[in-house]
Amino acid sequence: MMLLYLLTALFLAACAGFARSCRAVRSVVSVFFGVQLLFALWLVAGGRTDATSSVFFTFDRLGMLFFVLMTVVSSTAFFQSSRYLDAENLHEHKVYKISLMLLCASASAVYFANNVAVTWIFLEATTLCTAGLVYHRRDERSLEATWKYIFVCSTGIAVAYLGILLLGTVAVGGDMSYRSLSEGVLTGNPLYLKIAFLFILVGYSCKMELFPLYTIGVDANFAAPTPASAVISTVLVNAGFVSVFRVYRLVAPSPVGEWASQVLVIAGVLSVLVGAVFLRRTNNYKRLLSYSTVENMGIVAIGLGIGGAGVFAALFHATAHTFIKSGLFFCMAQVGKTYGNYRINRIGDYIRINRVGAATILLGSVSLLAFPPSALFISEVMIFKQIVLDGKWWLLAVTVLSLCFVMYSLFSRVLQLCFRPSGKSCESAFKASPVFAWTGFALIAVSSLIGVLQPEALVSFIREIVTF
Amino acid sequence: MLLALIIFYVVTLVYSAITERFRHYAMLIGLQGWLLLGVALLRLHGIDWLELSFVLVETLVFKAVVMPAMLFAIIRRTGINRVHARSVAVFNQLILSFAALLCSVIVTYYMADSRIDMVFFGVALYALLSGMLLIVSHKRIFSHLVGFLVIENGVFLFSMAIGVEMPFLINIAILLDILMSVLMLGLFVGKIGSRLHDLNADTLTTIKD
Repeated sequence: MMLLYLLTALFLAACAGFARSCRAVRSVVSVFFGVQLLFALWLVAGGRTDATSSVFFTFDRLGMLFFVLMTVVSSTAFFQSSRYLDAENLHEHKVYKISLMLLCASASAVYFANNVAVTWIFLEATTLCTAGLVYHRRDERSLEATWKYIFVCSTGIAVAYLGILLLGTVAVGGDMSYRSLSEGVLTGNPLYLKIAFLFILVGYSCKMELFPLYTIGVDANFAAPTPASAVISTVLVNAGFVSVFRVYRLVAPSPVGEWASQVLVIAGVLSVLVGAVFLRRTNNYKRLLSYSTVENMGIVAIGLGIGGAGVFAALFHATAHTFIKSGLFFCMAQVGKTYGNYRINRIGDYIRINRVGAATILLGSVSLLAFPPSALFISEVMIFKQIVLDGKWWLLAVTVLSLCFVMYSLFSRVLQLCFRPSGKSCESAFKASPVFAWTGFALIAVSSLIGVLQPEALVSFIREIVTF
Repeated sequence: MLLALIIFYVVTLVYSAITERFRHYAMLIGLQGWLLLGVALLRLHGIDWLELSFVLVETLVFKAVVMPAMLFAIIRRTGINRVHARSVAVFNQLILSFAALLCSVIVTYYMADSRIDMVFFGVALYALLSGMLLIVSHKRIFSHLVGFLVIENGVFLFSMAIGVEMPFLINIAILLDILMSVLMLGLFVGKIGSRLHDLNADTLTTIKD
């Protein structure tokens, strides 16, 4: 089934490549997102949990959770893009939509891969697809962002590959599947395993937007069209998270499990610190949201690293973050169209121009800062509780202080956007459509509903993922 | 014979630290490609012939021919043939390179294990460090590109250290070669060379906070 899905994506990408009008491209890509939706329904309703497909893929709960999230976000991004891309020619339409489609297909393969090498291959493929989105504007800025993205990602992925090679030393009979490696790591050379985990974490951090290679994700979000930024900030980041999570789950029961947890905590704390500093420094709303992703992924890494309830909280956090961040990016697309730029010091008074959009951005920011009823409140409280139970007071102090900076920086900037008088009329003739603001609102509302209701189905689903 | 090729490979890494001309970099990358072809031939002769021929053809075509040819094309197209005047001095580069070599030897000795060929591991680590040195100590984007290719060759060498049992992993390393190198070199030849006339890394700093 997975192979069929990937082949369908390739076939439809080829069809879109030969299309002769923007409408035809849109129709072909609509078919892909329809297929993706059917696939998600087939997975969820069909009860095919843990079924193996095409040897290298397994429909486990972890993959299913993020695949469903991807289906929601990418479909919304696709329909938003149709309105967002209003001045592009046919070639630009084709490259953008094909890249978006193939990015989703590659990310799906990352979610479901049951083999560490296959995960790596498809994570590498996402670099190629993301480059197509980042280079969309074809100006010097997007060229710079694309070059940096490809260069740093390639170096990161090469480093991750070295880690995979070292992990290969414990493979039984050359089998690189996670199941086989989980047996080998128990008797593997601890030094090799430590270096392997470190290399893989550093390499995959460029996708997960985690310290140390978080910078290119921020640049990519900045240069890509905003609906694509929503996908990069959630779908691609989740692909990085799933890859790191699978390797962590692999080494956690081994003698180096404790060491790997500490590395994750350090990477997480540094990411939160970086987020706190750069949220204050940046002068661009898209970069502001990207640094917020770095900060949130830092919290996720801390959750994973501290273990216990923190692992559940990390997954819950990543799930809620996907809804909130994509919703905010979709609303931010309207801001960009309205003002023609995202400069923090130049734009304001958005509440006067687009009430629903401004209110949604305010609500989204409050949710992103983990104020109740946001689902992020639940996950952060769980993580802090686990930190207190472990008696890691230094970690609590650093994280809470950094989060205070994050709250001040992010919320003050959002208040500026909504209420600060812009002086002269700086908005373009663009008429913001309430549909897009409502779409963003719906996504953010879903996250709040998850926080308030904490549906038993979702909670038990995540609980089964974290049982390892 | 294998050891001689590896030593020659190390010499190319040392030379890459002290040379200042882009033509020499391109020649060194080509030479490394030929050396890796020889290493692959001697090291992997025991694996399935189909997989061996794939590895050899890829090494010959991409590493020994296509990559140096693309580097020469970039030099011709941009007309820039030396490293930036403000790059780290050659003597300091040499010191740093020897420090990297010493560091690789120490780490390799410390990690000694029967599961990995230590000579391959040590040289691959040295290649990784040399590539990183090229990237951080030079200002021109071309040098960064060469640094990445040096790292990639190191990764390929390392994949051969444990690839005798797992040719699948070497094929993946090749996938990395083909996809990323061609993409990067293609982007460089097709877009960056014509858009950014002064090919310094400084010209790529418009996106920042």
